[in-house]
Amino acid sequence: MPNAEARRTMPGPLEVVEIERSFLRELGSIFWFIANTFQETMERVQQGRAPFRAASFFRESVRAGVDSVPLVGLVCFFLGLTMALLTGYQLQRFGTERLIPGLVAIAFTRELGPLLTGIMVAARIGAAFTAELGTMQVNEEVEAIEAMGIGPLRFLAAPRMLALFLLTPCLSTVSNLAAVFASSLVCKAYFSIAFPYFLDLVKDSLLIRDIITGILKSFMFGLLIASIACYRGLTVKGGAAGVGTNTTSSVVTAITTVIGFDTVYNVIYTNFYPT
Amino acid sequence: MVELRDVHMQFEEKKVLEGVSLDVQPQERLVIMGQSGSGKSTILRLILGILRADSGSIFFKQFEINRLNRRKLQQVRQHIGMVYQYSALLSSLTVRENVALPLEELTDKSRNELDKIVDEKLDLVGMKDAKDLLPDELSGGMRKRVALARGLVLEPELILLDEPSAGLDPVIASVVDELIISLTEKSKVTSITVTHEMESAFRIATRMAMLYEGKIIEEGEAKEFKQSKNPVVAQFLSGSTEGPILEGSLDAITKK
Repeated sequence: MPNAEARRTMPGPLEVVEIERSFLRELGSIFWFIANTFQETMERVQQGRAPFRAASFFRESVRAGVDSVPLVGLVCFFLGLTMALLTGYQLQRFGTERLIPGLVAIAFTRELGPLLTGIMVAARIGAAFTAELGTMQVNEEVEAIEAMGIGPLRFLAAPRMLALFLLTPCLSTVSNLAAVFASSLVCKAYFSIAFPYFLDLVKDSLLIRDIITGILKSFMFGLLIASIACYRGLTVKGGAAGVGTNTTSSVVTAITTVIGFDTVYNVIYTNFYPT
Repeated sequence: MVELRDVHMQFEEKKVLEGVSLDVQPQERLVIMGQSGSGKSTILRLILGILRADSGSIFFKQFEINRLNRRKLQQVRQHIGMVYQYSALLSSLTVRENVALPLEELTDKSRNELDKIVDEKLDLVGMKDAKDLLPDELSGGMRKRVALARGLVLEPELILLDEPSAGLDPVIASVVDELIISLTEKSKVTSITVTHEMESAFRIATRMAMLYEGKIIEEGEAKEFKQSKNPVVAQFLSGSTEGPILEGSLDAITKK
């Protein structure tokens, strides 16, 4: 009987094809969504008018960026602390604890900072965007905007997308600084590395390229998270339950996409720049 | 002003409109009646181009709505006002901001001109004192009046009203109906109202149409409607349980 049950729940070849198809459909829809939002915004700019309200952009920037600083800073501070402590004890066995500053700085600047920031932003802001736009969709507010002749994509999605696109790299920088600062405290307290020496070690090991690659990644993470969140919000169907379902789906999709994109980015990057 | 020619519309398996044809003359107040879920609101969304018909043509003036590109459609929509059943005011904006929104987004009016127009429209619907309130702080009737002011703020040639008096007490419903009549007359606006509230329909209408099973089964003036020999119209107007409308489904209900 367990075998029969397993057979029933395991997706068959046709179901796998259907899952793949629906995945590709979703992917296409999100790209269509980004392209349409961009087109609608540019059309408006060509008419010589502001594509959205500046107040709306600043409100979203404060919410997505400034209000996220404590969370991102604190989480990365603790992670930097833990990372320095755990790697420090291992490196100390070989007498190479002076590698800690470089290790933490490179790991966070290139990889962990942008990635963790992306995950936190997806959970905190992506969910909020989807729930907010989803509720507007259910209450016919989005349709009312469209009925007035106002493009809902440029009016609702564009300021959110631009805010996350610009603010995610800033948050990523905050996360890097918090982690490096935390590791400097550990280095001082446990491994007798003074702060000026710590800074020299960070400067020696960190390349401009590491910083640029992390920042570039963060821009893309911000755009992807905002696009997925807005797309999911504006396609809510089925009332309050639909808002709940799409909010969960938005967070799951955004986190998966961020990690997936990060992997692809790293594979391509390390192929072109192996060192 | 508006013309629907043999419009068909289907949602998945459910056929909603099966060859609807309708002609709306300038400055008339057409009321479309029909049962809940009969496709009345769908007709309004088709006129606005929010939904696309499966077949048939929809004209607003010289424009064929289902053939317009997005940019042109947005321009045409600026000549049509829409008042939703549940008002659909933007909950994060105040009454004033809601009414000012189309002006801010679609015109080049100065701040002073804009304030003057908003005040004037809010005054027309008797909501000038509530302009700093949020939609959540308003009653259903007040929201409808603000939605009406928003619908008229761009001085449209056509206004579409989706169940304007639904969910309101009889007195407020009459106030909203009277407001619709006076505003459309004053601004010389054509209106299409969909409703299943008989009193409201007869108060507003200069012409009526009955939608049943995806087709317009009767059209005419209010007087003609009251004397209609069509059994569906007669049953709908009387609200009787006996007649062709509930045939079949009534048996199922009574058996329970």
